[in-house]
Amino acid sequence: MTEFDAIIVGSGAGGGIVACVLAEAGKRVLLLERGQPLSFAEVGRDHLRNQRLAIYGHNAGPDLEGNPRVFIDPLGTKHIVKPHELDYHNNAACLGGGTRVYGAQAWRFSPDDFRMATKYGAPAGSSLADWPIGYEDLEPCYERVEWELGVAGDGAALETQIPRKRNYPLPPVLPGPQTAALRKGAHDLGWVVSPVPLLINTAPYNNRAACIGCKYCVGFACPTDAKTGTQNTVIPRALLSGNCELVVDAIAEKIETDSRGKVVGVRYLRHSSTAPESIEARSKVVIVSAGAIESARILLNSNSTHHPSGLGNEHDQVGRNLQGHLYPRAYGIVANPIFNGVGPGVSIATTQFNHDNDGIIGGGMLADDFIKPPIDFWYDSLPPDLPRWGLRNKQFMRENYTRVLHVRGPVQDIPSPEGRVTVDQSVTDRWGIPVAKLSGTTHEETITTADFMRERAVEWLRASGCETVWSTRPELMLSGRQHQAGTCRMGHDPDSSVTDQWGRVHNHDNLFVVDGSLHVTNGGFNPVLTIMALAYRSAEHIAKHIN
Amino acid sequence: MTDLQRQTLQAALDCVIPPDDFPGAWEAGVGNYLARQFESDLASRRTFYLAGLDGIEAEAIARFGKHFSKLEPENQSSILQNIESGAVATSWAISPEIFFKLMVETAAEGYYSNPEQGGNLGAISWTMTGFSKYGPV
Repeated sequence: MTEFDAIIVGSGAGGGIVACVLAEAGKRVLLLERGQPLSFAEVGRDHLRNQRLAIYGHNAGPDLEGNPRVFIDPLGTKHIVKPHELDYHNNAACLGGGTRVYGAQAWRFSPDDFRMATKYGAPAGSSLADWPIGYEDLEPCYERVEWELGVAGDGAALETQIPRKRNYPLPPVLPGPQTAALRKGAHDLGWVVSPVPLLINTAPYNNRAACIGCKYCVGFACPTDAKTGTQNTVIPRALLSGNCELVVDAIAEKIETDSRGKVVGVRYLRHSSTAPESIEARSKVVIVSAGAIESARILLNSNSTHHPSGLGNEHDQVGRNLQGHLYPRAYGIVANPIFNGVGPGVSIATTQFNHDNDGIIGGGMLADDFIKPPIDFWYDSLPPDLPRWGLRNKQFMRENYTRVLHVRGPVQDIPSPEGRVTVDQSVTDRWGIPVAKLSGTTHEETITTADFMRERAVEWLRASGCETVWSTRPELMLSGRQHQAGTCRMGHDPDSSVTDQWGRVHNHDNLFVVDGSLHVTNGGFNPVLTIMALAYRSAEHIAKHIN
Repeated sequence: MTDLQRQTLQAALDCVIPPDDFPGAWEAGVGNYLARQFESDLASRRTFYLAGLDGIEAEAIARFGKHFSKLEPENQSSILQNIESGAVATSWAISPEIFFKLMVETAAEGYYSNPEQGGNLGAISWTMTGFSKYGPV
């Protein structure tokens, strides 16, 4: 049996970076990915089957058949859900994970995002807590991601909200007509604005081409490979080092332990073969980077005599505090067309309301939106009082597709221990492995914050020249999806957390979690840059640990 | 699908997305889109959908004594409005509201999504909305 220094389960934002750091440090790495590498053509441009609008399927895995989850709705009813359904809370399953098809907003969390409980106090019933590390601990790692992978933005514009030592390596995306309208509105309101930082090459970088401004960022792949994911940066570097073996189509069954309960490796299946064979790989260290839902599932499924409730779960913490982001949103019509058809489309944001809002816990960033394909616009963006059919509907699409300003943004979820991932022993995937069961919601206080941010979105649109504005109140729900986080939170106290500040699972010296699962809270920002920064921080620690 | 069902479908789709100086749903190929979907993703809803078309026709006969496809547009719209709200004049074997929502959403999918899927012939809705008119392809 081959022995590796490290086995990493999952090749997304977290796992890809860990693989690169360890392999370049000379460690022998096995990187397991349940999906496959997907070409631009394979991801395609199907407007009805993509990671953003997935009515009949999606384009970056997992397969619709054989990969169910269980969803318990707020009334307690159990549903078996398929990967493209909303209640599945999917993130892409392919090489690069979510970064293959994401929109690539590359926000740092702000300093106060790491100390939510101290700043606001934890509401009753919530699990709001401080991170065991602060912004200053992560700042060098943020900078490293921005420069090694390549982020486009304007650091000076954000300086008052999110301090930094070094600007971004790439200039921000070019403003469009919608940017100018929103900039003027924010100026009149006295709000701070900035370009939206993106993991997109606005100029050639890392031997990859620049963005050509197509209309397909979020939910799709990039025609010039200008959008930066782990699949076109750190994973190729890991492979180039000669120290990383990548196995795709590999389903992790469980983390193996020895007779004393010590982690010794990973058992996995190659699912593309006709008769999948169970393979056990051994390593000094195991790193779980499968995303907040699947990472929790793997730990919970790795039970043994020594760990009857799963690995790291002695205090019933694995899988709790599942969070993502509620997305308050508003739309308005301006007099003249503001659509120039140049992607990404998201261009301007305000971080005015991420914190220090009277009587509100946290807040969030607001920005305009990625270009929406017309059918996505039809489903998502029409005024609620517009008839859904007939000439008025068609004429609205015709007259206003180019005139609607979109403002939306992620609000800081207030986590609840009841929003959680468990496993359902009675429902298995096609390989017989018990599947993730999702239940609960985020804490109700989240709605207060979300509605406050919705009102700010409406205010911004009105100030930006929109006479007609529409928006609906967000509802309390489980959030997760592409921003899923929190299920193996970091902390000092094993009673209320799963890992230490390095992602090392409490009471284990060689088992780590490195992905959004670690986030104690998920910021009022898209989380990928924080996942990547934490991955660099943990990976350097793990590299030393292996020595 | 019977000839009568097809006539009802064409007339109903053209109420959902009517022609003006841009094509209506039928001319834009939404019928083709649906035919493909009922062989694939929506195979399990085909019988349900056909029952809905029969329901539309039955409403037309009951209220106006004519085939739905032969009615004046305002009478067609009146029938569809009643189906949308569930205020039907005849006895339905299926939920009129759920059928109507399915009909409207699938019509929009055919009209506004990729031409390769059978509807939106010549990407006409992308021209109409401006989606393909501006910016790089």
